[in-house]
Amino acid sequence: MNFDWKSFFEFMPRLIAAAVVTVEISLLSLTLACLLAPALAVLRMIGPAPLRFLVSAFVEIIRGVPPLVVIAFVYFAMPAAGLALDGFWTGVLALTVVGMAYAIEIIRSAIESLGRGQREAGLALGFPLWRTYIELLLPQALKRILPPLTNELANIIKASALLSVISVHEISQVGQALIFETFVVVEIIIQMAVLYLMIVGVLIWLSRGLEQRLA
Amino acid sequence: MSSQAIRTMDPQFMLTVLVRLIPPLGLTIAVSLAALVLATPLGLSLGTLRATLPDRHWLSRLTDVYVFVVRGTPILIQIFAVYFLLPVAGVKLPLFWMGVFALVFNSGGYQAEIGRAAVQSVARGQWEAASALGFDDVNTIRLFILPQAMRRMVAPVMNELSQLIKASSVLSIISLYELHKAAEAIISAKLRFVEVLVVEGFLYFCFIALLSVLVGRIEGRLSGAGGLADQR
Repeated sequence: MNFDWKSFFEFMPRLIAAAVVTVEISLLSLTLACLLAPALAVLRMIGPAPLRFLVSAFVEIIRGVPPLVVIAFVYFAMPAAGLALDGFWTGVLALTVVGMAYAIEIIRSAIESLGRGQREAGLALGFPLWRTYIELLLPQALKRILPPLTNELANIIKASALLSVISVHEISQVGQALIFETFVVVEIIIQMAVLYLMIVGVLIWLSRGLEQRLA
Repeated sequence: MSSQAIRTMDPQFMLTVLVRLIPPLGLTIAVSLAALVLATPLGLSLGTLRATLPDRHWLSRLTDVYVFVVRGTPILIQIFAVYFLLPVAGVKLPLFWMGVFALVFNSGGYQAEIGRAAVQSVARGQWEAASALGFDDVNTIRLFILPQAMRRMVAPVMNELSQLIKASSVLSIISLYELHKAAEAIISAKLRFVEVLVVEGFLYFCFIALLSVLVGRIEGRLSGAGGLADQR
């Protein structure tokens, strides 16, 4: 079996267009997840009891089922709830939910690893509890949050491949369609893999840069 | 599939769904366990070798590329690759073993990282002590490093089973009749999704929660046993 460069390049434009969709969905979801997770993590630690319970139930349930089940649920539940989202936004919503659950857990365990003294110091200085968490503990925990969070964000990018099951035209769906259309297998799969490696690679590279600036 | 579906959850129907999803849950567990059993020796020994061989050894480089590819691509692509490329390479496997093969490929990479991290976490002084006592490299690893490192591998490897259970749901795209595929089949046959997804999610959740409790227990026991190495 020879590697056919001609078909490799022939399919490249379509796969790159699909990669743009993958990047868009991933960027939107990981931005939303990163914005919402810190607030929810703080709520989970010091919020009122019912909210605390709700957030931890959310985190535990999402972490305990495969992302595919979350995607299926959002896909079916949104129209049933009267909210018609297209595949793209269904995907963004599902990935945000999944990423957020893991991010909340990462942030919580980083803050809890800081040591009681920090919290006590904040309170002793007269900071209200929530300001202690948001202004003192969260920034300090950032250094411990970043490496596992990067991992999780990479997982969001990889989980976006699952959106092919709800026909979002991202890399996996387009690649799969091309394989069934043309029966060119090796060239397409390698190209899909390389595209994902590049996207994940950029994320890791950015995060390393950020980590060094924090250190 | 209307808003009706959300308001009325039919317990009778849920029970039927539960009964019908038990055999596919068995398949989910079987495929994940088989993958774990095969991937653990492969991944951990690769990781141990990676941690003990110099960076420029060919085996280290190969392991690095393997781990990089596994961690940098979605499981879905890896399953595609196995599904489409094995037949191209002339290997014919039944669907179940194709699934196992894909999961082993995936988990092997993650477990190589577990093994490497565990071996590297054994304090430098242990190596020095062993070589001061006149042990060669192989015996140092066998008698000093591995016994300490292996205790640190137990919990992450068991955690890997939860990851595999979750990853095995993606095998539904190659029509392996595991839990998620079965749930999808019921949804499209009955056109009701809430009950089915809730039952399916419940089954996954229970199993994974059970595993994580177990891992917590084991972790507690192992750290309680505290050998010399753990005292730093």
